[in-house]
Amino acid sequence: MTAKPYPKLQETLWQEKLDNGLEVFILPKPGFTKTYATFTTRYGSIDNHFTPPGGETIKVPDGIAHFLEHKMFEEPEGDIFSQFATQGASANAYTSFDRTVYLFTATGEIEANLDTLLHFVQNPYFTDENVEKEKGIIVQEIDMYRDNPDWRVYFGLIEAMYEKHPVHIDIAGTADSVRSITKEMLYDCYNTFYHPTNMTLFIVGGIDPQETMERVKRDQAKKSFPEGGEIKRLFEEEPIQVKTGKKELFLPVSLPKCLFGFKEEPGDEKDAVRRELASKLMLEALLGSSSTLYQQLYDDNLISDGFGHEYNTGPGYSFSIIGGETRDPDELVARVSQALYDAASNGISSEIFERTRRKKIGAYLRMMNSPESIASEFTRYRHKGGDLFTVVEVYESLTLDEINERIKEHANPDRRAISIVRSGPA
Amino acid sequence: MSEQFQRGVWGRLRLHVLPTKRFKTFAVSLYAGVPLSEDRVTSVALTPFVLRRGTQAYPETLSFRERLDDLYGAGFGFDLYKRGDHQIVQFRLDIINDRFVSATESLLGEALHFLGEVVTAPALEDGHFRNKYVEAEKTTVSKRIDAIINDKIRYAAERCVEEMCKDEPFRLLALGRKDQLTELNAENLYEAYQQWLREASFDLYVSGDTSLEEVQSLVEKSFRLPAGQPSSYSAPTLRKARAEVQTIVEKLDVGQGKLNMGLRVGETYGSNKYASLLVYNGLLGGFPHSKLFVNVREKASLAYYASSRLDGHKGILTLQSGVEIANYERAVTIIREQIEAMKKGDFAMEDFHRTQAMIVGQLRELQDSAFERIAFDFSNVLSGVERTGESFIAEIQAVTPENVTAVAQGVELDTIYFLRDRKEEG
Repeated sequence: MTAKPYPKLQETLWQEKLDNGLEVFILPKPGFTKTYATFTTRYGSIDNHFTPPGGETIKVPDGIAHFLEHKMFEEPEGDIFSQFATQGASANAYTSFDRTVYLFTATGEIEANLDTLLHFVQNPYFTDENVEKEKGIIVQEIDMYRDNPDWRVYFGLIEAMYEKHPVHIDIAGTADSVRSITKEMLYDCYNTFYHPTNMTLFIVGGIDPQETMERVKRDQAKKSFPEGGEIKRLFEEEPIQVKTGKKELFLPVSLPKCLFGFKEEPGDEKDAVRRELASKLMLEALLGSSSTLYQQLYDDNLISDGFGHEYNTGPGYSFSIIGGETRDPDELVARVSQALYDAASNGISSEIFERTRRKKIGAYLRMMNSPESIASEFTRYRHKGGDLFTVVEVYESLTLDEINERIKEHANPDRRAISIVRSGPA
Repeated sequence: MSEQFQRGVWGRLRLHVLPTKRFKTFAVSLYAGVPLSEDRVTSVALTPFVLRRGTQAYPETLSFRERLDDLYGAGFGFDLYKRGDHQIVQFRLDIINDRFVSATESLLGEALHFLGEVVTAPALEDGHFRNKYVEAEKTTVSKRIDAIINDKIRYAAERCVEEMCKDEPFRLLALGRKDQLTELNAENLYEAYQQWLREASFDLYVSGDTSLEEVQSLVEKSFRLPAGQPSSYSAPTLRKARAEVQTIVEKLDVGQGKLNMGLRVGETYGSNKYASLLVYNGLLGGFPHSKLFVNVREKASLAYYASSRLDGHKGILTLQSGVEIANYERAVTIIREQIEAMKKGDFAMEDFHRTQAMIVGQLRELQDSAFERIAFDFSNVLSGVERTGESFIAEIQAVTPENVTAVAQGVELDTIYFLRDRKEEG
């Protein structure tokens, strides 16, 4: 086990790669009562076409990673939530494009809760009957999201941008795809992606790092796993252009919801974190709540407080998302786009750059107060080959030229897509 | 727990300071509460929206927000909510502890000065608020009220409470009434604001590496409140459930039905039975091992979510679930059976202990978040009780199954609210 100090942040991270390939990270937080642990597999909704180590290539139904996440909580001895509750812990899980995360938070019986976390995620128990029963629940989850205009406009934009890449597929799948899932398919996915070599355990809280690491090692040493190997993930080639420039749909909303953004080529993976931070800084400088543009749009009643932006990047995809509710989607898109194109020619000032950098560093340090955020963000950065604990250094090393270059690359009129949700004809 | 709040008073402000070195930030909360009333609800709601537009020192919104960015992106915001029969405005500031950045100014001092200006020295013209800000923020509040319908889960929850409490001020939204917005202008809102400064109960909380003496001296320089003493909160009036349960069905363009229920519980946060009530809520619908989750979701596969929420300040309990429209009757039957089962004391000892363990875990956990500790303490101020995390944990652990069954007798269903599609029934 090695300890890596981060003196600026006053944190020390302990880590070890176990014999079975599992990577374990422990961040002690002296004085904290709570411990928070995440057990993450590098497996999400986009991994729907793959070759398991030494196996045949398979294509699986949409929504299966999320379905698997639901089903992991069932064990022969019963529902795992109850086990955690007996130990005073609350457990949860979520599935994203490229990760599935299992977690618990507890203030006592940390060792027992860690054992439970490792046990249930490493013990799949799928039967025809329990798989069938889950379908009704997941269809209700899908229906809930179908009625949610924020979710629909968000996914609508990704659908407008991407034609082949599975990032455009709803994480939960569709009612039909979910109904086609069988226990055999779940085992295929489980056996491929839940091998320790594809997983990360992160524990943060008021714990002793040595004792906790020993506990995890003993637990893992007792279990046997087949030899791990390389998983081949297959992605069809994604066109550079957006699939469709504009996508609209109808749902009852008080004002139209409009999101738009620019699709980029994913770029070199080793620069992913720097590029992501530079892109986020760029968007904040141009569109953040203290930008001139934001204030003008607000004064013209074109945006509300919910107006925002984000930058998403992962295996084979990279795009921005900008927008919110607006009385006039066309005017909003035109005004913001023009401002971005102007900034691509003129650049931003060093004053704005410095202020935005300060703001981003402050927001990052505030985020580091929250063990939940640290655990979630740490693994996300790790998967991109970065280190959450050196984000301040990356921000400090960014230059104005780099940001201005980023704007030029990003704000490409040919790569823009728009998604709108508005109330239908009565 | 060695960390305790230090208390002080400065004019109309009660001061609560939690000296701690555990966090990377200073957390500041200012609560301002007034009785929830038909006449004032909208002017009180609009006030913080106008205050966040500018101060005498930073009258332009752009310079106001740049100032926050310069303070290392201080997190500034406000919330509006109802607590019992009061309407509360909460201002929040979260600012980096100087020791993590190379700041030349005392960031806590600057932050308190900024907050003092926001609340007590707003940007003015001709002896009243700036007309432009008032008009723009009227539009913003109006849009916020309209937007509630976009999120069907929230909309159904608000409508259920509105129907249940239709004869009380509690039916009002914390955001106020749209029809009253049109009557407000820069002059009469400024008068209402001055009355609010004279009458509201003010509680200022600061958590971080500081002391009561330091905060007190900073506050004296920063807040220009009218002279006087702090005012206190009155206890809420408890109501009984209506004699006959009312059922409200509303139709909208939705795919999934939203089923909500409102119940009266006969006790409030200040009562010595509150701990029993919290365990009751946990057994009925607070957790994944609770009756609602297990019976509506896991056994019947009717829903993705089914839960209950206790509003201890008002003395009401609300249940919420999203179900297929055709399953409405079945879901109502199952949920009512669970409420009846609780009255008969029909719950497993295992689940009882789990619930206690979960609530104790939550109470311990909140010690790790500055804002949650502040919120917990403010509940005491509101209710005139003196609970600490530890004493409340002891109360929860002392609850017996008989206590839970006893409080269950006072829980009465009042309103069933169902949001469904526009199609014909059948």
